[in-house]
Amino acid sequence: MPRLQVKDVAVRFGAFDALKGVSMAVDEGSFVTLLGPSGCGKTTLLNVIAGFLPPTAGQVLIGGHDVGNVRPEARDTAMCFQSYALFPHLSVADNIAFGPRQKHHPKDETARRVAGLIEQLGLAAHRDKLPNALSGGQQQRVALARALAVQPGIVLFDEPLSNLDAKLRDQVRTEIRELQRKLGFTAVYVTHDQAEALALSDEVFLLNRGVVEQSGTPRDIYFLPRTRFVADFIGAANLHTGQIESGAMKTPFGVFRVDSADKARATLCWRPEAATLGGDLSGRVTASAFQGAYLDLFVTAENETIRLQVPGHHHIEVGETVRFGIPIGSIVQLAEDRDA
Amino acid sequence: MPKALRIVLLLAPGLGLVVGLMALVVYRAAAQSLGLYNFAGTDTLGLTHWQDLLSNHNYWGAIRWSAYVATTSSLIAVALAYPLALWLRRPFRGSTFLSAMIKAPYLVPGLVAAFLLINVISFHGFVNEFLVWTGIWQKPVRMQNDKFGYAVIGLQVWKQLPLAFLLLTGAIQSIPDPVLHAAQDLGAGMLARFRKIILPLTAKAMQAALILIFIGAAGDFSFQSIAGPTRQDSMATLMTQLQGANHNDWNGAAVVGVSLMALSLVGAVAFAGLVQLVAKLAEKAR
Repeated sequence: MPRLQVKDVAVRFGAFDALKGVSMAVDEGSFVTLLGPSGCGKTTLLNVIAGFLPPTAGQVLIGGHDVGNVRPEARDTAMCFQSYALFPHLSVADNIAFGPRQKHHPKDETARRVAGLIEQLGLAAHRDKLPNALSGGQQQRVALARALAVQPGIVLFDEPLSNLDAKLRDQVRTEIRELQRKLGFTAVYVTHDQAEALALSDEVFLLNRGVVEQSGTPRDIYFLPRTRFVADFIGAANLHTGQIESGAMKTPFGVFRVDSADKARATLCWRPEAATLGGDLSGRVTASAFQGAYLDLFVTAENETIRLQVPGHHHIEVGETVRFGIPIGSIVQLAEDRDA
Repeated sequence: MPKALRIVLLLAPGLGLVVGLMALVVYRAAAQSLGLYNFAGTDTLGLTHWQDLLSNHNYWGAIRWSAYVATTSSLIAVALAYPLALWLRRPFRGSTFLSAMIKAPYLVPGLVAAFLLINVISFHGFVNEFLVWTGIWQKPVRMQNDKFGYAVIGLQVWKQLPLAFLLLTGAIQSIPDPVLHAAQDLGAGMLARFRKIILPLTAKAMQAALILIFIGAAGDFSFQSIAGPTRQDSMATLMTQLQGANHNDWNGAAVVGVSLMALSLVGAVAFAGLVQLVAKLAEKAR
């Protein structure tokens, strides 16, 4: 039985549908990510799971039990907030001990948990400090320790790294994943950062305009996008719309060979890094950016522009015509777009 | 120009004026209570006026009464303001109107408020007339000038609630939603959230509200003179009585004035201590 089930959850704010019949199932001990652009409903869904927001329709089940009438304080969840939400008048140790004390755990048990988490998260030097004396990364660790101190079945993360700088974000991200693997809690993680979602998750739920556009493993989402939105949102993608005839689609760059049945109108998708130099396709380079490991090329033909990423040691200048090829296995035909 | 002198000169027009005027008032009242500046007789420096009033039971009665009214009013006003401020913490349909209604008494002068209350509770006021008319009461009941000061306290609470509400609303609104959600998420119910998060984070505002209301209520004249018990003076009414046309006791009135300032100070210190104690008890209860 899944640890968490969300069944046809809808949330309406006035005339605005924030969530439209979202369903998901999360297995015990897995790390899932709710990914999507701002306003797609991911934080709303997290608030529904935590109990801060009652759904307009649908059910949330934790451990198989409907928690519709269970108040947030009685749910088997703990949340790490985007703004950390530490209690400013309490020390680091008291912040971490807040949950166990609220749940009336024995004093020695609480002290043991607090000491263990402080040690585990490298906060020993800060245990008596107030939150405002800590850096962003330290505050996020305290927030994580505070959530873990109640040993919840599910930890909910609401964009916890968005206030950290890039380097610290990578570090804390790794720490969160390691800790989740070690302690085995179930994690639901909200982010708009697709790289973060791909790096952390066992499963990604990609939300768009209040619905789950696609869910699956990070590899499935990346390599087998079902819609134009998914292809565009996760990494960079080149898309061509046209007719497939005799296993090929004509484009301004040449003929793309595809392993697909004939179709009057189809959309093909391929990733820029799938391109290899030399081949039947060609276009004129309109922009070039050296990125170290690779060279980012923007190639145009008949008012259509695509993006290629080739190894960084190549020298290709703007204005040159570049010939390239795409392995047939790297081209995906998208399912019908919802909006199409 | 030396830095210290520059700071003093910069502060002088604002802070200097406030301190100067306050010092002048305190000096004048203190000197007058010691027999100086007697407008109705000769100046005699000494403790005679203090001795006279310290042996006067009306004086002690007025101190007790003012302390009672001020303490009760402050505590009730703050106790009522907290739930209102929590309720109106986040906007909803009609919340602006409700908030304005709560603040409205601040715009009504005390004397007018007392007069309106008398219209309601006097022997032939609205309440009595209505209840007799409906037959619920056989004859009018005396509610005005009650000996426990309920009318005065009620008026004080009505008048001072906006101040407590304004101070507490600001403090409560400054607590971010996620902080309260985090406490709830970690198992804190409504009461625990109030005791462990809201109370400690709004203690300073509560302290300010209690002290300001206490000082205002301790020095009340208009509510006491209109709605207060007839046989009981507050410090302000005693002060005007002593100085009034018949008594001409300027120095005695100054003694009451200095005592009123002392009462305000004691009340302020006591409330500051009380709030700290409450905060500490809340901390121990963690």
